Amino acid sequence: MFEAKVGGFVIFYLSMIQKILIANRGEIALRIVRACRELGIKTLAVYSEADVQSLHVQLADEAICIGGPKSSDSYLRADRIISAAEIADVDAIHPGYGFLSENAKFAEQCESCNIKFIGPKSKSIKIMGDKAIAKDTVRKAAVPIVPGSDGPVETEAEAIKAARKIGYPVIIKAVAGGGGRGMRIAHNDISFAKEFHVARNEAEKAFGNGAVYLEKYIEKPRHIEFQILADSHGKVLHLGERDCSVQRRHQKLIEESPSPFLTADLRKRMGKAAVRAAEAAEYENAGTIEFLVDAKGNFYFIEMNTRIQVEHPVTEEVTGIDLIKQQIRITNGEKLDFDQGDIKFEKHAIECRINAEDPARNFAPSPGTIGLYYSPGGHGVRLDSHVYGGYTIPPYYDSMIGKLICFGSTRKVALERAYRALSEYIIRGIKTTIPLHKAIMSDPTFIEGKATTAYMDDFLSRTPPDLFS
Amino acid sequence: MKRSDLTEFEIEEQGFKLKICRGPDGVPAVSGGQMPIHTPPHMVVEAPRPAVAAAQDTLPAATLTAVSTAPDEPGVSYIKSPMVGTFYRSASPESPPFVEIGAKIEEKTVICIIEAMKIMNEIQAETKGSVLEVLVENGQPVEYGQRLYKIKVG
Repeated sequence: MFEAKVGGFVIFYLSMIQKILIANRGEIALRIVRACRELGIKTLAVYSEADVQSLHVQLADEAICIGGPKSSDSYLRADRIISAAEIADVDAIHPGYGFLSENAKFAEQCESCNIKFIGPKSKSIKIMGDKAIAKDTVRKAAVPIVPGSDGPVETEAEAIKAARKIGYPVIIKAVAGGGGRGMRIAHNDISFAKEFHVARNEAEKAFGNGAVYLEKYIEKPRHIEFQILADSHGKVLHLGERDCSVQRRHQKLIEESPSPFLTADLRKRMGKAAVRAAEAAEYENAGTIEFLVDAKGNFYFIEMNTRIQVEHPVTEEVTGIDLIKQQIRITNGEKLDFDQGDIKFEKHAIECRINAEDPARNFAPSPGTIGLYYSPGGHGVRLDSHVYGGYTIPPYYDSMIGKLICFGSTRKVALERAYRALSEYIIRGIKTTIPLHKAIMSDPTFIEGKATTAYMDDFLSRTPPDLFS
Repeated sequence: MKRSDLTEFEIEEQGFKLKICRGPDGVPAVSGGQMPIHTPPHMVVEAPRPAVAAAQDTLPAATLTAVSTAPDEPGVSYIKSPMVGTFYRSASPESPPFVEIGAKIEEKTVICIIEAMKIMNEIQAETKGSVLEVLVENGQPVEYGQRLYKIKVG
């Protein structure tokens, strides 16, 4: 920004973003192209050799190939992306989600090359990227975190004392562990002593390190996250929650808003906590605060995602606010032109992630060429997808081929609309999770709003696989 | 087939600028029962608009001739760019080019410099033969996989 004196008046010129490099692929890259078009901003798509036929590459104003098919040789190559940004003279880079979007070093490189990074400052990415630092930061802002032992517990006596302080049930986790291994659950003092020693032995055998720590075990929690929008002038707002409890192996399948579980009071308290958490990280731009919520309505911060998320359209349809455009405006230095009280939650929205996977074969990926393709439409139906009839899905990336977002005045309308839209949706030539989503939309437990993170395992165990063919 | 439908759709519906830039290998369309794996998206360089003339200059306007759907000839190969950056034929503006047409090259022969983020990277030929054609211009931005030199192998 610089000022010029013209005829005695001082005029401020904002260095407006005129061209954006999209450092991503698939449906989110298309989403960003669309927002840029509407804002009159030029787009540069960087792509791998496997994405030559991708829709966003075809629709962007300019395109530069940055590497071979593998992500490590293309979309993760920060050097080539910045090089492309320089030769094409872009003003900003939108990193999308995944890839380099939460890479603090990449954000720093952009900053030092004078290219705006459409996202938070690198220091916020660093704070929230380290789980321990993140928890400590938000705890100081009076945001509840999952109670734990604050480090390893050495002796049984020390451990039992910590377990009682946390409150049963507790989960004993290996410090060196991961991927669900080396974890044991104890419901009382008696079982704790046994589980503690077993856990230590298992950890020693599996990871060569017997150190363990404790956390409160939250049974069948709901995963409820809050969308944050913060400008560079100190305003931090939340745009309501998304309930993402329907997950398989920690991958979200369905997201909806509002959550069928939250009361108005809990929503208010969680919303305020989410804002405090974002403020504690000095956050700017779009981000999401993730909570686990137990059956009693206790909520606990688990992490912050310092990027735009896959499921952002759910919030867009509920509030009517275009999050990608807001991200660009915030990066432009503009103030958010609304306050917390101005945000209205007018609709119920539900998103189904459509993956090229075969539910009947344990969700094996199903890349290949799409034949006949007919996408659903009508009132209250939104499809964010980069695929089309004749498109070949490359095998190098994740299997998500689109997001179907249905919304209406009530949850009932949204669910019925989702079922209707899924029934119209035809994708031939590959297997997809469309039949799975249809089955979930018809499932009483889901219809009643009772799904927790334990839902998918339960649903799959009582559903015959041939239901999906 | 499908790709040209898409391109036509663009021209008719969008009516706006499309850009041609050189893509990676000019792989010919596969025939016989499969969906064509296409030649890369040669997007049309738009009629330059004066206000963005500078931006236009950075994209290879000269590549309109290079819509290379021609199949690879025997005994001919291409040296392709291993990075994204700016191509230079010589070590400095005053120096002679690293190679001229007809020059014999070996694997370790430096055939150009590609500048990326202020670093001058010397690019080796990694093939043995002689230079048939120079496919890019001095100072031209190049993308990953872009053809730089046409080489007679051996």
